[in-house]
Amino acid sequence: MTRSTILWRGLAFVALLAIIALVFQSQSAAYLSSGNLRALARHMSVQGLAALGLTFVIVVRQYDLSFPGVASLGAMTLGWLIASGAPLSLAIAGGIGVGAAIGLVNGIAVARFRLPDIVTTIATGGVAIGLSYFYSNGTSISENFFMSGILDINDRRVLGLDQPFAILAGVALVAFVLLHATRFGHAFYATGENRVSARFSGVPVERYVLVAFALSGAGACLAITLLVASSGAANVTAGNQLLMPAFAAVYLGAALFGRPSVGATLAGTLLMSAMLNGFTLLAIPYYYSDAIVSTVLILAIAGFDPRITAVLGQPFRRTSEARP
Amino acid sequence: MTDFGQALGPAQARRRTDPRHVLTRYGFFVLLAVVFVTFALLRPAFASEANLNEMMRSAAIAGLMFLGLTWIIAAGEIDVSFMSVAALANMIVAVLVRDGAGWGTASLAGLGAGLLFGALNALLVGVMRLPALVITIATGALAASIAAALGLGTSISLSQTGFVGRILAANLGVVPLVALVVLAIYALAWWAQERLTFGHYIYALEQNRAAVVEAGVPVNRILVLLYLLSGSLSALAGILLAAALSSGQPYLGNSYFLDGLTAVLLGGMALKLGKPNVIGTLAGIFLLIGLLNGAALLGWTDSQRQIVRGSLLLVGVSLVVLSRRRNRT
Repeated sequence: MTRSTILWRGLAFVALLAIIALVFQSQSAAYLSSGNLRALARHMSVQGLAALGLTFVIVVRQYDLSFPGVASLGAMTLGWLIASGAPLSLAIAGGIGVGAAIGLVNGIAVARFRLPDIVTTIATGGVAIGLSYFYSNGTSISENFFMSGILDINDRRVLGLDQPFAILAGVALVAFVLLHATRFGHAFYATGENRVSARFSGVPVERYVLVAFALSGAGACLAITLLVASSGAANVTAGNQLLMPAFAAVYLGAALFGRPSVGATLAGTLLMSAMLNGFTLLAIPYYYSDAIVSTVLILAIAGFDPRITAVLGQPFRRTSEARP
Repeated sequence: MTDFGQALGPAQARRRTDPRHVLTRYGFFVLLAVVFVTFALLRPAFASEANLNEMMRSAAIAGLMFLGLTWIIAAGEIDVSFMSVAALANMIVAVLVRDGAGWGTASLAGLGAGLLFGALNALLVGVMRLPALVITIATGALAASIAAALGLGTSISLSQTGFVGRILAANLGVVPLVALVVLAIYALAWWAQERLTFGHYIYALEQNRAAVVEAGVPVNRILVLLYLLSGSLSALAGILLAAALSSGQPYLGNSYFLDGLTAVLLGGMALKLGKPNVIGTLAGIFLLIGLLNGAALLGWTDSQRQIVRGSLLLVGVSLVVLSRRRNRT
């Protein structure tokens, strides 16, 4: 992509963001206040971490539908560990570890055993939701939360930023370096673009698909850790609201910037969070905002550059091309 | 979908009488029988007339909802909006009936919504060739949020179930009338799938879409037809559910999502060795309903049954892929 097209795409993104800000600012004077912008950044932190994990899976041209269920399981694992008195760091590691483990299971099933990604991840997500009920029979867990210090994750400030946003920034930086500044990143894209030629170029494609799924599971559980820290309780339904915004963020970003990437996902997340935060501020019920989010997703996929849609449509044509 | 499609070569035809293949082909029905007999022995209430009648009625409604999905997956595409379309039709009927409209008008409106969403999916996936999964996630979420908005986030209870309720309650002996109608629809669908070129195109699409396009088959038109079918039949199921539950439930879709995929994929093992087909789907529905109903009688919790559902889906997918791979060699 040439420098000028990046400029144009960047301008289009800024224009969209400005339109969203203008619309909401005209409806509520509090939208651009520092208090609300901080709330927006918190919202973006949760959504962004889940979307960043998903980005890797989309880059290798697979789908992960299990992460909302996995995130719920991660939340309940975290809550249960805290309630039973485990140190905070162990509890957080446990929650994220569960996510990475189920991600690995997905990766092994899809990459090693060649199971179809969509149905497999729907199934593992369903099992994860079922497992999440075992800790407390489905009731929410909040014992010991105040003493454990998990609430501080939400309240602490790092370098003048709220800690959740600082975590997102840190993770995004690591993901950016991994995906766009190392040969590993090239291997992820090569695996997605043409698996056969990537394999013949010496890329262990199975391993990259596996890692992508593990990162998706871990990202979703890290995201849910922040959500649990801000709400002060772990719920079996914690992950339910992650699916649509994460897919919308990745696809909106990819449509705007020409391909899925860390920057594109962050831009997509910012647009989605700017809208969703505005709806919350105006006290619009979730079912209206859900309708708008899904409409935006449809328009983003259908309306932008047709070449992008062709590229993103590849997973469905891959079988006929990949077969020698 | 990834590796679902593997052409069945002439070797396949030769092996049709191989005992191992006969076992995989019909083993599913044996499993079905074993499940039903086991539960009937463990809990006599399972085999009571009332319970069997109720299971057949639920199976009929689920059968309507999953018929379009069966062919969509058989054609190598996906639809994850079907259950939300059913929920939307369900809520439209409930709102209209609550506000004094007749069941006829309300049902037509619900069916119209199903056709509309079917047409939307058909346009975006069939004509514009956008990725089916993400598009149907989005259209499904749109339908679900409209359904929730209609009831302002809660369910709507209905005082009377009108003629739809009477049709639903009608029985011929132990068998509900609606089950017989759905059975007839499935028989017709089996005929279309096996005897018409339409059916052959569906399976050909999944194996090699490029070749089917090159052969001059109107691929777009087939996909459009499949999504329209899925939308309208799901809406029909939603309308029946409004009478069955005598209420509008905005979130009824959740419980049908895993079940639909499981019935289609697991059922694909029956008769066609891993290819989704309508008789297989019907058998898959009965297996699921039998298992879940029996497990409830044995006192299993919802979360345990959720795990059974998810695991069954995993088993189904693995079996499909395994049997396909073996047939390829």
